[in-house]
Amino acid sequence: MSRLRISRSLIVLGVTLSALAFAGPAQSQTPKSGGTLNIMLREDLAQGFAIHESSTISTVFPSSPCFNNLVYFDPFKPVESTDTLIGDLAEKWSWQDNYRNLVFFLRKNVKWHDGKPFTSKDVKFTFDMLREGPDAPAKLRINPRKDWYANVEAVEAPDPYTVAFRLKRPQPSLLSLLATGYTPIYAAHIPPANYRTTCVGTGPYKVKEWRKGEYLDYVKNPDYFVKGRPYLDALHYVVIVERGTRTAALQAGQLDAAFPGETTKAAAEQLKKAVPQLVITPVGASVTDNIILNTKKPPFDNLKVRLAVSYAIDRRGLIQAVHQGAGVPGAAMAPRPYGVWGMAEKDLLTLPGYGKPAEMKDKARKLLAEAGITPQHPLRVEMVTRAIAVYVDMASFVINELKQVGIEATLKQIETAQWHAMATRGEYQIGANLTGLGVDDPDANLYENFACGSPRNYSAYCDEHVTKLIDQQSQELDPKKRLALVIAIQKKIEEDAARPLLDHRIDYFTVWPHVKNLIPHHNIFNFARMQEVWSDK
Amino acid sequence: MKTYVVQRLLIALLTLLGMSMVIFVLLRLAPGDIVDILFSTAGYVSPSEKQAIMKELGMDRPYWVQYLDWLHQIVTGDLGKSYRYDQPAWQIIRPLVPVTLELAALSMIFAVLIGVPTGVVSAVRQDTTLDYALRVFSLAGLSMPAFWLGMVIILSLVSWFAWIPPLTYVSPMKDWKLHAIQFLLPALAVGYRSSALIMRITRSSLLEVMREDYIRTAWAKGQTGRIVIWRHALKNALLPVVTVIGIEFAFLIGGLVVTETVFNLPGVARFLVQAILWRDYPVVQNLVMFIAIVVILSNLLVDMLYGVLDPRVRYGG
Amino acid sequence: MAVRPAAIAVPAGARPRPGTGTVIARFVRKKPLGAAGGALMLVMLVTAVFAELLQTHDPIATDAAYTLGPPSLEHLLGTDHLGRDIYSRIVHGARISLVVGVASTLMGSVLGGIIGLLSGYVGGKTDLVTQRILDILQGLPLLVLALVMSAALGPSVQNVVIAISIPIIPRAARVIRSSVLSIREMQYIEAARALGARHPRIAFRHILPNTIGPFIVLCTAQLGSAILVEATLSYLGLGVPEPYPSWGRMLSVSAAEYAQKAPHLVLFPGIAISLAVFASNLLGDALRDTLDPRLRGS
Repeated sequence: MSRLRISRSLIVLGVTLSALAFAGPAQSQTPKSGGTLNIMLREDLAQGFAIHESSTISTVFPSSPCFNNLVYFDPFKPVESTDTLIGDLAEKWSWQDNYRNLVFFLRKNVKWHDGKPFTSKDVKFTFDMLREGPDAPAKLRINPRKDWYANVEAVEAPDPYTVAFRLKRPQPSLLSLLATGYTPIYAAHIPPANYRTTCVGTGPYKVKEWRKGEYLDYVKNPDYFVKGRPYLDALHYVVIVERGTRTAALQAGQLDAAFPGETTKAAAEQLKKAVPQLVITPVGASVTDNIILNTKKPPFDNLKVRLAVSYAIDRRGLIQAVHQGAGVPGAAMAPRPYGVWGMAEKDLLTLPGYGKPAEMKDKARKLLAEAGITPQHPLRVEMVTRAIAVYVDMASFVINELKQVGIEATLKQIETAQWHAMATRGEYQIGANLTGLGVDDPDANLYENFACGSPRNYSAYCDEHVTKLIDQQSQELDPKKRLALVIAIQKKIEEDAARPLLDHRIDYFTVWPHVKNLIPHHNIFNFARMQEVWSDK
Repeated sequence: MKTYVVQRLLIALLTLLGMSMVIFVLLRLAPGDIVDILFSTAGYVSPSEKQAIMKELGMDRPYWVQYLDWLHQIVTGDLGKSYRYDQPAWQIIRPLVPVTLELAALSMIFAVLIGVPTGVVSAVRQDTTLDYALRVFSLAGLSMPAFWLGMVIILSLVSWFAWIPPLTYVSPMKDWKLHAIQFLLPALAVGYRSSALIMRITRSSLLEVMREDYIRTAWAKGQTGRIVIWRHALKNALLPVVTVIGIEFAFLIGGLVVTETVFNLPGVARFLVQAILWRDYPVVQNLVMFIAIVVILSNLLVDMLYGVLDPRVRYGG
Repeated sequence: MAVRPAAIAVPAGARPRPGTGTVIARFVRKKPLGAAGGALMLVMLVTAVFAELLQTHDPIATDAAYTLGPPSLEHLLGTDHLGRDIYSRIVHGARISLVVGVASTLMGSVLGGIIGLLSGYVGGKTDLVTQRILDILQGLPLLVLALVMSAALGPSVQNVVIAISIPIIPRAARVIRSSVLSIREMQYIEAARALGARHPRIAFRHILPNTIGPFIVLCTAQLGSAILVEATLSYLGLGVPEPYPSWGRMLSVSAAEYAQKAPHLVLFPGIAISLAVFASNLLGDALRDTLDPRLRGS
């Protein structure tokens, strides 16, 4: 070999070795035991640990370390799908009877935090309560996800370590619904109301102290069924309501990890500049900005007017103006790589609001003119939104866009206490809304927001054909066919413009480098168990 | 003296009763209640479930029944159950009280430490540049929004010293040094604001006393007389200051609300804001009554102190 | 023409009243600080009235390309996280602060003044009862009461004005009442009464003009705290709603979060609030010294 070739090979070898040295993934390091993590909470727990009675990340995130599900999404994989499911309290599971029967084989030797043994009775208790079955053993004060189990005929527990869900019709999504942070298992021997004040779960951490409005302390569960886990000795969740103070505390290292969904791009840039070693991961926040239009009252009962609204809003402009680029356009389901059911970029371009802004606004004006709205007869409406900065900023941008096509909207801020009641009763014309999606699954998303008669279908959108399609995709076993159906549904929904989707938000999840294995998913609700997290301090 | 105190206490009691009614009514005027907020955290609304929860919380009874029930609770020492946390309100508020009291006390100390000396200097050097400068300095403290002052302090520390004070509460048991640092800045910020009025009163009161004839004559007479006169003048001048300290205490609570929020101190004032936003009636009612009692008691105390210090009031009034 | 009692009420030998110009000139000379405050308030007033002329951009127009920009020639005081021009927002914020501040101060002071006037003049049981009722309102710290009222009424400009004016009523009543009590005993009032003038006439014709001094002092003193309370309420999210730019709301949420990258977000609105309150305090102090020397010590 010539000298040149030898030196080149040496260079390649040198570069490869250095690359290996610097690029070592977290998993290749040996986890250390011990230590405490200080984690940010943006507000105090809303309903304590009663995950089944709430729908907010403020309950799910700090409560998850206490619980286990039947199945869970692999904490190491940011993109969630049926391929990333792992067993939590279930060792094995299998679909039987052509996806009409879902059987779980549960782990043995699992104990609740108060020492009592975990059996199939607890699973049956939890799901009979959730689906409000005829002989439900207990009742939840508030039950937001009752409809997730509408298709469950019965939950059977033939022996202490086997549970079977018998369905009315095939529903492959059920497995994903059971894997979210929203679906922990409650104890049969604890009244559900108790979970509002304290937590008895099977999870890796036990609640030590909850100082209301201030902090939540967990300690390691020494009897956890996964040997060697959890690694940390304690978790310390700190409540900091004031936004600037929160960011400052994270920057100063007084907090080790941010709250999911709370770090904007600008804040992340600022943090990175001040502390270059912070680990910042952009992930889908599973939150969408959307416009709710009351389809039951004028003027938005007119499809043309609704379409005009959708055309008028420049999606990319909104992402840039309101989120400084921390968002991605998409239809009802999150687009790749953040989700697996979203529409491809090229398909989006055919939908209202994704083309060139000037052309789209022209189209909007034309549509409005067809509906009798001209600069001489402008349309005056009242836009409602929640009295929270993150809503108001988005609404302000939208109002600006609508102004340019001849819709004069005034902003009315609605306090949190009245928002959902007002939206459910349809006491509004147009609203700027945020929707959180518990899991990237069409059954969870489409039924809730677009099916006829669903209470959270704020637009009162009711298209029989679409509802039938939703039912159809729910039973479709062929993944390719199912995807095609879901895409067709998303397209139709945007073309009916009852609830134009503006963007999917991106969160710049931030942790300090000594925090290992806290890997954010493209969904804020499903990576909070803290089972694999360790601290390299 | 005794009848005076008893009279004042009776009046105070009546005032408190009136306040309880005002608070009770005002709170329920606010649109939305705890049940609406609970549903908003759940993301939907169900009228039947709402009915059930209202019954559980006792909120479906007529208002006057709920009011009397609340009064009964206060008298028997039961401060009700927090709607939000499902636990006795007192249990939740108890650990917060020492934090706020500590902050309030430290703030008053700083207020007096800043206000009295500047007031004295300003009076002695009346109408000089120093006087003007001190008055501007004092007035500036009164003009700045309390929350902004807090923000600017933290921002300056970060920018110039790359240091942020502890933003999560440090108990004095764990680390008293860090705890002291944590409370120092917010106490300074609130104290600075409260010092303005104290400075003004000290100054004008001292000026008035110094203007009196016998003071002026004695002053002109010479050194040794001066020190005695000085002490006498100061003592008389400080009487109104005591009153003002009592009044300031009431204004203090307003500043504490935002200061506790900005510096993230787990006190009663910060909790009050959260409780109002959550329509947690039992907590808000009891907290506001607690604040009112503190204010009335401190006013009463100041009045009585005044009576002790200034014999004219005792027999005149 | 019958001799009106008003003519008798003026003590004999009174000098003719000096012209307005001379009064102002004298004031500027004797109280330079107060005059400075007054001038500053005037600047604020002009800014508030001519906000549209003074602005350089539309205060609610966003500009995605230029978020968190530092002060420059185009954006005098920089831009916020949505690209809105801070200078223009501060100019419009002056309008909101002044409108809310003045309206709530006037409303509270006038209502409180009337209550205080009547209570002080009539005296007796009415006075006692009124005082106790006012004690109730005054027992609560200003901000706490404004907070609860604001939550009770909901976010809108009118409601914020009401919420801030209510705590002012008892304070105004107290000041006017004590002023009335001291004037009531004066000789020329007794003379008027002896001549048969009726109570309302005495109250409004003779006593009222003499309470104007303390009233003006009270107003300027309360204006400062009204502006502060509005700013605090807006900061807490309970004040003036979007899209009205409010100095207090400009300091909430985004300002604190981006403060390190863009300190101008925090500095300028805060300076604006401080200057406005400072000016009104300066003016109030000077007015009090001039108009009512008796109150100097209080």
